[in-house]
Amino acid sequence: GRRKRKVMKRTAPRSTLRKIIKKHKPQLRLAANTDLLFESFFIFSFFPLLKVHLNFIAFLHRLAEEARTNAFADKSKIVKPEHTIAAAKVIMHFEYF
Amino acid sequence: PLQPPGPKAVPKRPGASRRKPREPKIASSLIKKIFSHYVKMPVTRDAFKIVEKCCERYFKQLSDDLEAYSSHAGRKTVEMADLEVLMRRQGLVTDKMPMNVLIERYLPLEYRKLLIPVAISGNKVMPSK
Repeated sequence: GRRKRKVMKRTAPRSTLRKIIKKHKPQLRLAANTDLLFESFFIFSFFPLLKVHLNFIAFLHRLAEEARTNAFADKSKIVKPEHTIAAAKVIMHFEYF
Repeated sequence: PLQPPGPKAVPKRPGASRRKPREPKIASSLIKKIFSHYVKMPVTRDAFKIVEKCCERYFKQLSDDLEAYSSHAGRKTVEMADLEVLMRRQGLVTDKMPMNVLIERYLPLEYRKLLIPVAISGNKVMPSK
């Protein structure tokens, strides 16, 4: 039969994301604070934090796939630190160079 | 029975009592959840620690990039466009993989509704072009 799909809750920790960016870049602002009242009105307004969250998930997705590939190549049935470290090297390289 | 309050308080380790201003971090439970969802195989505890470290580095790099993009555009505010540019550069957004597809793939409905206005109409497909 079909595998039961586990639903992953992906609520974005928006205030944490904001704080993290603020920690690194105190003077940097993020457009359009997502005030709930305004969300329905400003459909077209900007929600960069949601996209930051999206980028973060995509990053973890890539990292996970790469780590998994490394574990396979290593004939390991479990992801070990070295698989993750090697994955990170590749991913960081991919993303930013 | 309830313990008497006060004198029998747990002896605190020196230094543990003062609450340090915590560094903002993504909850490790969330990182673990997302990572395990995609890795689809067991992960050692130490490997998860590495993943967390990677996340910290990722956010540092991300902040640097966002600052670079917005200041390049003469702004002090990060806008959606900056993230689009970033994701193009990361190879996440391409001609074959538009932003909206990524949004649909990664974000729950309530966020999709905010980011992709046409999704608001539910099943009805609105002309998107």
